[in-house]
Amino acid sequence: MEKVLSDKKAIFLFVFPAFVVFAMVVIIPIFFSAYYSTLDWNGIGKSTFIGIQNYVNLFVNNKDGFAMAIKNSFLVAFFSVFVQVPLALILALVISKGIKGEGFFRTVYFIPVIISTTVIGQLWMKIYQPKHGMLNKLLEIAGLDSLQRNWLATPQTAMASVLFVIIWQYIGYHMLLLYSGIKAIPGDIYEAAEVDGATNFQKAARITIPLIAPMIKVCVTFALIGSLKTFDLIYVLTKGGPIHATEVPTTLMFSNIFLQNKYGYGSAMSIFIILECLLFTVFINKVFKAESITY
Amino acid sequence: MKKIWSKLLACAVSGIVALSSAGCGTSQVSSNESNKPAAEAASGEQKEAASGEKVTLNVWHLWTTDSDANAKSFMKVFEQYKAEHPNVEVVIDASENEAYKTKLKTAMAANEGPDVFFSWGAGFAQPFVDAGQVLPIEEYLTDDQKANLIESQRTNLTYDGKLYGLPFVSWVGILYCNQEVFEQNGVKVPDTYEEFLAAVETFSSKGIVPLTVGAKDGWPLMFFQNILALRQAGADGSNAALDKAASFNQPEFVQSAQMLTDLVKAKAFDDAALALTYDEAKMAFLSGEVPMTYMGSWLAGEIQDENLSTVKGKVVAKNFPSIAGTKGNKDEFLGGAIDCFMVNNNTKHKKEAAEFAAYMAEHMARESFLLGAGLPAWKVDTTGETIDPLVQQMVELANNSTGFVLAWDTKLSGEAAEKHKTLVQEVFAGTKTPQQFVDEMDAANK
Repeated sequence: MEKVLSDKKAIFLFVFPAFVVFAMVVIIPIFFSAYYSTLDWNGIGKSTFIGIQNYVNLFVNNKDGFAMAIKNSFLVAFFSVFVQVPLALILALVISKGIKGEGFFRTVYFIPVIISTTVIGQLWMKIYQPKHGMLNKLLEIAGLDSLQRNWLATPQTAMASVLFVIIWQYIGYHMLLLYSGIKAIPGDIYEAAEVDGATNFQKAARITIPLIAPMIKVCVTFALIGSLKTFDLIYVLTKGGPIHATEVPTTLMFSNIFLQNKYGYGSAMSIFIILECLLFTVFINKVFKAESITY
Repeated sequence: MKKIWSKLLACAVSGIVALSSAGCGTSQVSSNESNKPAAEAASGEQKEAASGEKVTLNVWHLWTTDSDANAKSFMKVFEQYKAEHPNVEVVIDASENEAYKTKLKTAMAANEGPDVFFSWGAGFAQPFVDAGQVLPIEEYLTDDQKANLIESQRTNLTYDGKLYGLPFVSWVGILYCNQEVFEQNGVKVPDTYEEFLAAVETFSSKGIVPLTVGAKDGWPLMFFQNILALRQAGADGSNAALDKAASFNQPEFVQSAQMLTDLVKAKAFDDAALALTYDEAKMAFLSGEVPMTYMGSWLAGEIQDENLSTVKGKVVAKNFPSIAGTKGNKDEFLGGAIDCFMVNNNTKHKKEAAEFAAYMAEHMARESFLLGAGLPAWKVDTTGETIDPLVQQMVELANNSTGFVLAWDTKLSGEAAEKHKTLVQEVFAGTKTPQQFVDEMDAANK
């Protein structure tokens, strides 16, 4: 085995097929998209090269609410990073303490992650349904009729309603990542802390959180990137509506390419999303690099 | 050890070969003109290898639910076709409406479209026809078939004077009224717009939502603006504006949007309509909860199916009421023949594919009509068959028709169609004024 790993040819042989696949399905299409983004093309007929005109239309002369879409995706990103991940962290800290029914809670919180997003979307559409939906019914029973809304039909409430579901769905995912990180911390550190009289809060803040920082970084990256490219749940719940209130860059891109036959313009959007995600990943790496603690 | 290396090498080489051939497939996207012969040859090879003497046709359609009248009719005719053409093997691939559009466009862009496919005429197929991907089908029709295809049904499938698609049924927009609910509430089924407004008012004052519309999907809501525009401007006026021969900035079109706003104000629709899909909105009518809906004739099949609806036999089909003092009249309809079969110009088996399309279209015209999916686009013989009373009512309405306008989203091409649907939603939600609506329609349909 040692011999194989030190053999350059062997490394090449093992890595090369995977690299080719990766290049074919990820890297090359990105370059194709970049090329398409310079075209005026309906996807089927002849295309004309128009340079950066698509990008000018996207950022300068924008008429299809791209700024609003970016704002919405940032909103999702903000809540994912500052609400979803902290909540997941709290849950992970609590259930990893060996409370009664640890396995049960772990499973329950993780269920939304396993269920297909389309099913989740359908489920929440039923909950938000204005007449027979659970949410409005509960409000009615509680005597809060004045709070009843047409949740997904009103532009003012639609984004918040969708946001809630997105946050809710992936809490379990981050919780599980953090939970496994916590479980990997050796028990003797805690024993030593207990001998020194550390409280539960101190143990969490001084030992657990610093030690799982790499895992938190992973969670934050996933949460951020995941929200910037979020699509499925929004598409199922509102299709970007009502009247574009819940549009995000990916839904706009889908509509441009597949409904309006604007391949060039849509590709410009996809390139923007790729660059945006790359930039944020680099940024997160910079932020977390400063503090790296091991035991 | 040596053996393992040679095996690995073989794996790697075959992997590279497989991937590089896949790479050729994607390169067709960028320059489909030059690669056509290559694609043709490649697909031809596959077929010969797969079936020997037999001809294999790939057929795509969008009937994924068995309850759909066109789906039933397709399956019936298809069984018939298979029995009569043992030498042709047909591979069917069905996907749901929206997914189908995406899939078809992607496949056509990559020059990997099926031999025969379901399509829509007018704006939808325009890019395919412009790119030379659709076979002009006229020359493959027999004389009988040419005579049987009703002349007026060719309009939306004819591009530059050539016929590219074969329709089977045409549809008409119908105001469906649930007579039982009308009678229970002492409301007259409307013949004029005044009566229609009176019905809306009575129902909504009694806490019944008068009209159901799946505004989330855009197009069902668009129907209301389209028919109001048709009543206001007439078929010629509407078609002129859609064909870019006239501006939308005319009092008639402003008025069409204004009347939609007025209907919203009169509480004609569900408050939450913008969150309802077509299917959800349809259920409200089929369950008898909502007394009226304005929808295509295809809904009749589901209304009369007791497995799906509780209102079978209680529904009457009406024209959308005429509006006094306007250019339109009640005998002009939203609708036309737009659903069709098209044949891929790159298919190896042009003759068989075209014959298949013609066979299916002609026979489906009869079956779909009998099942209530629409009105036949071919001359059909229905003697001895019982025609559903609701379908019969629609036939009678349509027989008096003096003009047709397609639903605007199928008449307009991609970008303008999407813009139009959004604009109607915005008018509905009150975020755009009728004047803004017509101005932006003009800008979109340049």
